[in-house]
Amino acid sequence: MNVAELSQIAVNALLLSGILALVALGFSLVWGIMNIVNLAHGAFIVLGAYLTFYLHEAAGIDPFLSIPICMVVMFALGFAVQRALINQVIRAPILATFLLTFGLEILLVNLVNYFCKGDTRSVTTAYTGAGITLGYVRIPYIRLAALLIALALVAALAWFLRSTRAGRAIRATGMDIDAARLTGVNVPAVYALTYGIGAALAGAAGSLLSVMVPFDPNLGGAYTERSFVISVLGGLGAIGNVVLGALLYAFVDVFVGARLPQLSEAVTFVVLVLALVY
Amino acid sequence: MSIAGTLRLLFGCVLPLLAALAVGVLDGRAAAEERITFGAAISTTGKTAKEGEYTRDGYQFAIDKLNEMGGVRVGGRAYKLALKYYDDESRSERTAQLTEKLINEDKVAFILGPYGSAPTSTAAPICERYRVPMIEANGAAESIFSKGYKFTFAVLTPAKQYLRGIVDFVLAHDRGAKTVAILGENEPFSKEVAAGAAEYAKEKGLSVVYQQLYPSSAQDVSALLTTVKSFRPDVVLGAGHLQDSLLIVKQAKDLGLRPKAMGFSVGPSSPEFRESLKRDADYVLGATQWTPALRYQGDDPWRTPKAFADAFLAKNPSYSSVPYQVAESAAAIVAFQHAIEKAGTLDPVKVRDAIASLDIMTFFGPIKFDGRGVNVTKPMAVEQLQPDGGKYTVFPQAVAERDGIYPMPPAPAP
Repeated sequence: MNVAELSQIAVNALLLSGILALVALGFSLVWGIMNIVNLAHGAFIVLGAYLTFYLHEAAGIDPFLSIPICMVVMFALGFAVQRALINQVIRAPILATFLLTFGLEILLVNLVNYFCKGDTRSVTTAYTGAGITLGYVRIPYIRLAALLIALALVAALAWFLRSTRAGRAIRATGMDIDAARLTGVNVPAVYALTYGIGAALAGAAGSLLSVMVPFDPNLGGAYTERSFVISVLGGLGAIGNVVLGALLYAFVDVFVGARLPQLSEAVTFVVLVLALVY
Repeated sequence: MSIAGTLRLLFGCVLPLLAALAVGVLDGRAAAEERITFGAAISTTGKTAKEGEYTRDGYQFAIDKLNEMGGVRVGGRAYKLALKYYDDESRSERTAQLTEKLINEDKVAFILGPYGSAPTSTAAPICERYRVPMIEANGAAESIFSKGYKFTFAVLTPAKQYLRGIVDFVLAHDRGAKTVAILGENEPFSKEVAAGAAEYAKEKGLSVVYQQLYPSSAQDVSALLTTVKSFRPDVVLGAGHLQDSLLIVKQAKDLGLRPKAMGFSVGPSSPEFRESLKRDADYVLGATQWTPALRYQGDDPWRTPKAFADAFLAKNPSYSSVPYQVAESAAAIVAFQHAIEKAGTLDPVKVRDAIASLDIMTFFGPIKFDGRGVNVTKPMAVEQLQPDGGKYTVFPQAVAERDGIYPMPPAPAP
């Protein structure tokens, strides 16, 4: 491995970690606050990707401009899902939320499959594939933008949780649900808000992914898995941890992938197992 | 009644009737219309949903056409054909279950293959166990045929030959081409495609500078492509499926990897390849089992590839062009039709023997199986997506619609 290759691979890993952090951000928030392993997370990502695709195809809206639209739509959907469905089983054993979100995932994926067909889609813009070359290293604009947007959203979420009243209510509920209720926090509303934010972030991740990778309705499952691994690697304590988890995941995935691509997934999961054991 | 008359009656009516009863194609309610039902597990959802649709539409189109022409004649009686299929969700273990269900519960007469090598390899042992012949059109891995199965046949060209045409295409344009990089998806079919391509490239004097497999669920191949780029290969070959081919073209552009030629086993022949990549699809080469430009003169309802394509598009206006999966799937029906008529019975074992001894020319190309059940007589063609937005057959040169463009010009400045 020479310097040119090594530096390009390191940059690839860095760029990949941005989008992975965003992919895992909403998942980690929902898990950390509500103790729900949201298996429908990948389906929300898929919805975000399709929304972006149709906004681009039908209305000519640039995929980056459709991120806020996706976030609003997905927030509303997530909020409604939590209010109407998940709040009903929130006090039930963890298996109930597992089954519910798993069922939701299957439902959403098949609805997308039905309405949007199983075709492989991809958002291709005028600037797709364009980038700058710095010495040995080539940086595609889209991936760079994705990294910056991901970091901005992580920072925004961290600020929201720390500095706003609603954010503090979310954290308080995550720490001790009964104490939060006693101090006047409206727990169902806070849960709906949290889940809505999780879905909105998934929508943003879907928007960005739609310009980076070809996708179909089944894209989501793989991203739910990645979100899980990244959340565990980073730890659920603080929201910024997903960035660390994503960095670790991306570097392992990319460096192993450069030489032993068949093993890249196996090795990332070995790292997960090690992280769980130690 | 003379002995000959009795025999004719026996072979003409009674035996087929008994055979039909035995495999349960006779609907208890009405014996008025006799049917031969083909069963198939096809992926209409999941990873290969699109290809599964092509497969289904190819089967259905050929069945409808044969029915229009009066059906299949077995010992003097005309049988209509029907297709019964289930969605295997692109999961091979479902394929096996559904194939068993089709044979056991739905009592279909014969089995048509699913889409893809992995599901085909799970359906094959089921057909073997129940001694029901399967003609498959979408499983090209030769590993399916290395297990000594007697009831599975493939009309398509086997995996190892998929990328040969592209290697030949490059050498026909450029005797100076020296290096090849090969990326393959880690699953049975693509592994064979990659291995076959590497073998053939070496045989032709090229040096394979990079050969790696990536996992089936890969969403990022930038690491591999970065390494590939450092070798500066003349040719990059991809052995995967549509999604992988799209990803490789996209990320190669991201990383500024621009070889003299880039070719894929699966992907470029689908309309979505152009739809997804727009101008980035230009100059990409695709191996294909079949194109409407080929010049075969077949013994089937359409006779020529062009006539097949025209008829299919007229019936299926949602298609902008005819994917080869449609043609190969229709060819499986044609092969069954010839074999059943030749056997003169619906007895599965006799039909199996008739399939094994087929030697026919079709709109899809020659069909003749070797001892394993593989159609080794049909060559692969190469298509290229060109900057005018069209897709043209550029190899073999004898049937090329246009000259191929080689090498790829440098990428336009962003």
